[in-house]
Amino acid sequence: MKKKIISILIAGFVVVCAWLLEAGNIKESSSFHATPLQLKIPAGWPKPPINIFANNPLTEEGFQLGRKLFYDGRLSKDGNFSCASCHQQFAAFATYDHDFSHGFNNQFSTRNAPPLFNLAWSKLYNLDGGVNHIELQALSPMTAPNEMAENIDSVLKKLRKDASYQKMFKAAFGTSLINSQRMLKALAQFTGSLISSDSKYDKVKRGEATFNEAEEHGYELFKARCNTCHKEPLFTDYSFRNNGLPLNDFLKDYGRMKITGDPADSLKFKVPTLRNVSVTFPYMHDGRLYSLYKVIDHYSKGIIQSPTLDSSLKKGITFTEEEKTDIVYFLHTLNDTTFEKNKRFSQP
Amino acid sequence: MMSKISNLQCLLLCAGVLFLLSFSHKKACVNSNLPTAKLIFINTVKGNKIVLNDSIYTNPFNETYSISKLRYYITNVSLQGKDNIFKEQNSYHLIDQSEDETQSITFSLQSGIYSSVNFLLGVDSLHNVSGAQTYDLDPAKDMFWTWNSGYVMAKMEGNSPDSKLVNHKFEFHIGGFSGPYNVLKEIRLSFPDKQISFNNGKSYTIIINADINTWWQHSHDIKISEDANVTSPGINAKNISDNYANMFHIEKVMR
Repeated sequence: MKKKIISILIAGFVVVCAWLLEAGNIKESSSFHATPLQLKIPAGWPKPPINIFANNPLTEEGFQLGRKLFYDGRLSKDGNFSCASCHQQFAAFATYDHDFSHGFNNQFSTRNAPPLFNLAWSKLYNLDGGVNHIELQALSPMTAPNEMAENIDSVLKKLRKDASYQKMFKAAFGTSLINSQRMLKALAQFTGSLISSDSKYDKVKRGEATFNEAEEHGYELFKARCNTCHKEPLFTDYSFRNNGLPLNDFLKDYGRMKITGDPADSLKFKVPTLRNVSVTFPYMHDGRLYSLYKVIDHYSKGIIQSPTLDSSLKKGITFTEEEKTDIVYFLHTLNDTTFEKNKRFSQP
Repeated sequence: MMSKISNLQCLLLCAGVLFLLSFSHKKACVNSNLPTAKLIFINTVKGNKIVLNDSIYTNPFNETYSISKLRYYITNVSLQGKDNIFKEQNSYHLIDQSEDETQSITFSLQSGIYSSVNFLLGVDSLHNVSGAQTYDLDPAKDMFWTWNSGYVMAKMEGNSPDSKLVNHKFEFHIGGFSGPYNVLKEIRLSFPDKQISFNNGKSYTIIINADINTWWQHSHDIKISEDANVTSPGINAKNISDNYANMFHIEKVMR
């Protein structure tokens, strides 16, 4: 009888050990606590159309892991190109003063790097809307041979060798398993948390500041002539439109048509946000326009007619010289230095 | 001291060991009390089992070719009877000609009489818009477009003297999960014996033959000399999928 009890206990012990081992390695252990965070929607702003964190609960640990990954050159083939190389915080996470960004082996990207903020309001990513989920966007530059030039397995191998990543993955996800899904979710927790809502314009809206005369006049003009596409408070309606730019003969970039295959989408690109526009020059999908004045000139007298030209631009948008100056004054009030200097988003 | 080990003790020890071993990687959901179904996919060209790289094949247009890569997604597997259906859980499988273990799908199912095995060739549209996923849906499997979010449902690469591309290669990355050029295909394969009773405690192996020769011709003619590069959604990909939707047949069911 005693021997029977002992052998049953041994068997039971084996089963319990196995269960604990399995729980520790694969499932989240019962002692796992990550600190939940809430994405703060600025007062008066519309709710994001979908919850980008629906399958990726936002936590402090996930955010910090994503932030470390964002600034890590090892996500690129030669270690030189982190996400932050092209998405520079002082340029509102665009590439400062570059039409195209630098990539692996002295190559260029083929589109102007968009700034990164307020991504929760965007349903589609990239200038042609080719990416349908925030978790997937990082794959595009990471694996592009002319950008970061890496492959997923190779990146994961590098991360797994790093004890600090093992710790941070465990803190964020419960175990030190490092796979593509966790890496991408962590990056999405960081980039999805970047909110820019503290420009002078925002302060004016909150009653904490006032426009000067030129800015006020510029704002009135803006509301009358630019608000169709660049809707407040996000300063974009996230639609894809052809704004009359002539086709770049070298790049032959037809924008959204590449994704949908629909000729009606020819030359349509995502309407960019105008927030922080004073630091995200040069402008347009290929960075061809270096100043806001040149942009306004384009809308005044540079529009090329075509079958897919946006209906709101068929007659162009005219401004007097004085109006141009005032609009530019207004656009400068969209700059959010709090965001550009926020240490929480800086290199850890 | 140690007397003969009783059956109960043996069972408990075995359970413990099996438990230990069972979580080393994602494994099939098998319960030995229920019937077990094992689907084995055998890729062939006109009946000859495919040998990657070395074997030379001839398509209906007398173009010769070798195959360096062949993979496709089999998902949403189910067995159907007259009034009953069993759906495999988490049914997402990447069949890869270069990896033997991926070519069979094993699961336990509800006992009953079934007349067909059914699956989706490709990844259903919901999972194409669900963000970063794991196991066979991991983007690291190199079956996912980063520039136009969505899975490559079927991929074949190889070489042919009739290809005008660099290195005489041809590449078919067949994808597109929505719109007029949707390449997703529902496949329904009736059992040769019409009905089979799947009984508790028994194993049933269903050998499914996939004839890659159908890729070239069935509803449309696909010639290497004309279309060696089909690597984005569109009419060419749709045409190839219309063809390969007919590549499967059940060779036999073993009980």
